[in-house]
Amino acid sequence: MILKKIKQRAFSNILDSITTLIIISFIIISLTTILKWIFFSANWSVVKINLPLFFFGSFPKDQLWRPGLWMSLIAILSFATLLAPRWKWVPKFLPILWISFAPLGIFLLGGGLGLSPVESRNWGGLTLTILLTSFSAILSLPLGIVLALGRQSELPVIRKASSLYIDTMRSVPLIAVLFFGQLLIPLFLPIGLEINRVYRAIIAFTLFVSAYLAEDIRGGLQSVPKTQREAGEVLGLHPLQITCLIILPQALRVALPSLTNQAVGLLQNTSLMAILGLVELLGIGRSILANPEFIGRYIEVYVWLAALYWVVCTLMALIARHLEKQMALEKRG
Amino acid sequence: MKISYKEIIQALFALFLIILICVLINNISINLTRTGIGFSFNWLFRPASFALAEHPLPYSPSDSYAWALFMGWLNSLKVIIYSLLLATVIGVFIGLSRIGKNELLRVVSAGYITIIRQTPLLLQLMFWYFVAFLSLKETVLKPIGNLLSISNQGINFLGITLSAEFSSLLLGLSVFTSAYIAEVVRGGINSVDKGQWESFRSLGLNDFTGLYTIIIPQALPAILPGLTSQYLNLAKNSTLAIAVGYSDIYAINDTIINQTGRPIEGFIILLLSFLFLNLFISNGMEIINTMITSSKNN
Amino acid sequence: MLPIVKATNLTKSYAKGIRALDNISISVDPGEVLVVMGPSGSGKSTLIRTFNGLETFDSGQLNVLGIPLGSNHNEERKIRRIRKRVGMVFQQFNLFPHLSILENITLAPIKVQKKKRDEAEHEALVLLTQMGIESHAQKYPSQLSGGEQQRVAIARALALKPELLLFDEPTSALDPERVNEVLDAMRRLAEQGMSMVVVTHEVNFAKEVGDKVLFMDSGKVIETSTPDIFFLDAKHQRSRKFLNQIKKK
Ligand SMILES: Nc1ncnc2c1ncn2[C@@H]1O[C@H](COP(=O)(O)OP(=O)(O)O)[C@@H](O)[C@H]1O
Ligand SMILES: [Mg+2]
Repeated sequence: MILKKIKQRAFSNILDSITTLIIISFIIISLTTILKWIFFSANWSVVKINLPLFFFGSFPKDQLWRPGLWMSLIAILSFATLLAPRWKWVPKFLPILWISFAPLGIFLLGGGLGLSPVESRNWGGLTLTILLTSFSAILSLPLGIVLALGRQSELPVIRKASSLYIDTMRSVPLIAVLFFGQLLIPLFLPIGLEINRVYRAIIAFTLFVSAYLAEDIRGGLQSVPKTQREAGEVLGLHPLQITCLIILPQALRVALPSLTNQAVGLLQNTSLMAILGLVELLGIGRSILANPEFIGRYIEVYVWLAALYWVVCTLMALIARHLEKQMALEKRG
Repeated sequence: MKISYKEIIQALFALFLIILICVLINNISINLTRTGIGFSFNWLFRPASFALAEHPLPYSPSDSYAWALFMGWLNSLKVIIYSLLLATVIGVFIGLSRIGKNELLRVVSAGYITIIRQTPLLLQLMFWYFVAFLSLKETVLKPIGNLLSISNQGINFLGITLSAEFSSLLLGLSVFTSAYIAEVVRGGINSVDKGQWESFRSLGLNDFTGLYTIIIPQALPAILPGLTSQYLNLAKNSTLAIAVGYSDIYAINDTIINQTGRPIEGFIILLLSFLFLNLFISNGMEIINTMITSSKNN
Repeated sequence: MLPIVKATNLTKSYAKGIRALDNISISVDPGEVLVVMGPSGSGKSTLIRTFNGLETFDSGQLNVLGIPLGSNHNEERKIRRIRKRVGMVFQQFNLFPHLSILENITLAPIKVQKKKRDEAEHEALVLLTQMGIESHAQKYPSQLSGGEQQRVAIARALALKPELLLFDEPTSALDPERVNEVLDAMRRLAEQGMSMVVVTHEVNFAKEVGDKVLFMDSGKVIETSTPDIFFLDAKHQRSRKFLNQIKKK
């Protein structure tokens, strides 16, 4: 029975059998090589020694509880989201918690209100990666919605302005937006007003990502039938109410899969700040590799980073998939 | 004439945009005069005075900034075109494996896609450059005799030499993009009615012939738009060349801004360069598209 | 008494030359049920959609609930005022798929009439009970049959306590065995004295409930008669031909 199944799936004809055998030998060879390397050849001390750096950057030692607390909160929040359907009261608070999560991070990292201030150049590692991601994400979603609605507007001035913005942003590389963000944002600001590199990066990411979100949301908007607007009009709802209460919720649901893809992409793209002077996850890896003590330990560091990114991104994708399922269930009951 | 409230909203919005732009320009000009730089493009024709490791046309440091930028643009174009071809070949292969009958092949290609898609491109590029090439040191790999040799100097294939910088960018971009192309190909083929497979099988065609003569032609209209947008992404991503030290348009622009201290002019140049690159790709794809549709109609 | 709807010489064309409405004059009195019939494309939908401003018209006069509407009006406030007092039910139900049945019904009372949620929900449940679907209150539209969805749509229209209800082929999208549950609900509304304009091809409903039948073709009113006369002895050749056609089905 099992043999028959295996035969059907992997040895259905000669060509298939050859492919299967080649793949099996390829898998065996690469797995043994990789496992041998991981357990015997690799020198993981570079990762072990620098673990706090990878997670929290060069945050002051006595204040490490702050990024630690923040990171634990996000872990708890993620699991709460995944388990939410079991506890009835949780779902109501989840959106608020997720939204307040990024400002809380700024407060915990930056200090103020009783916490001793820590300069942004001491923020780093996975904490900074997640801070950049979450802050840019919650800012670019509303901007993306506004741009998407603007692009659909019946008022030509607003429509053209939105289209111009979206198309321009989507045609330039992200690294350029980030680089010129660092250089130009200070030039655009009045003399005396200065904002640190992290905020500049967040602004640049927001400007960039919102153009992509806008296109995804526009796709969602187009999928809502025109009759939905009519049904709202007939009830005497104001056009703004129709957009916010009827059209947008449906459009966002349709766009959710692509929006979460964008969020995962955003997290990966925060790594670009590594070549623009921030020590987020990849940046801290580079600066550790620049330390003479760990010179040449490229493979260990990069494999460790890849694993870390992979876990975080996969987790994000899982949560997103879960949310999509929840919403589908909500509709079916 | 009565002015409707819609016109008022538009006028207010336009006014707001104009004021915003004026404030920004005002701030910028104050900042620029303060630093004593001003705004001009005259410097474009001064000697660049930096060397380039790779340049498709003759170039020396005494050539102008403009010429150096053009070399960068050509370098970008070169790596984009090579990667685009390689990424398509790998992507189609992985995409087909993903829907093929062989379970093992499906699992392996799914693993490939998740590893590539859930890690940052920049990390992958650095991996290719620092681990795959630079750590080779003096050791030279010759997997198929003298036809192909790989070392920390790059790749030598049939007498064509590719620098380590170019090679790692090429491989990094191709592998990264191929994972996305694979999904586009899979989606396109899945969009073809399942009945089509049954009908060509019932005609006695084998899966390979059926795939090429029946399925792919029908899947192409669904695949091409996705492919185009992956190609445009690849072009944009090629600017990460700066991380592996390849002199593409962005890297050269970056060097020039550091030398001249003119970020605004640099930004405008970069914007225009990408306008041309994007036009190049989308027009190319448009031509391919019409070629395919017209050959279908004949 | 003032008529609820009074249209005089309404004319409208979408494209040049073809008139969707051609010089139409009618009136609907309070408590009256006007049935509109006519072949597909004759302008029935266009006509009743002008009554709540979903369509504009090119010339003529229209007065709904004492509020005059101009031709090619750009009078959003006026139209919204009318819509708060005129309910409409569509062929395709057009429920909001992301809201539960209860939320579908309470949306307008809460957002338009600024009612308290408790009060709106209480009233919605009363309406759902009238429609015989109170057990579905917490479900979503996709979980209901077509007939149930259409009754929700009627309840949603009733939630604003309208003075006039417009129905555009409310049973055309339903399975035949589901048609009567909707017609019965409409019948009860008529008995309660609701003014209604109903586009439908349901002859029995028109006979029993209709006070007047308006027959349209190519944008024109061909005849307006009482149901007795229209169905037994229609004045016009075209009306008779149409009646024969729908009887065959
Ligand atoms: N939005 C529109 N654009 C152009 N023509 C339309 C539109 N809506 C309706 N028409 C035309 O107006 C005429 C009347 O349509 P309609 O009122 O929908 O008829 P009915 O409801 O009686 O089937 C038809 O000829 C139809 O093709
Ligand atoms: Mg109609």
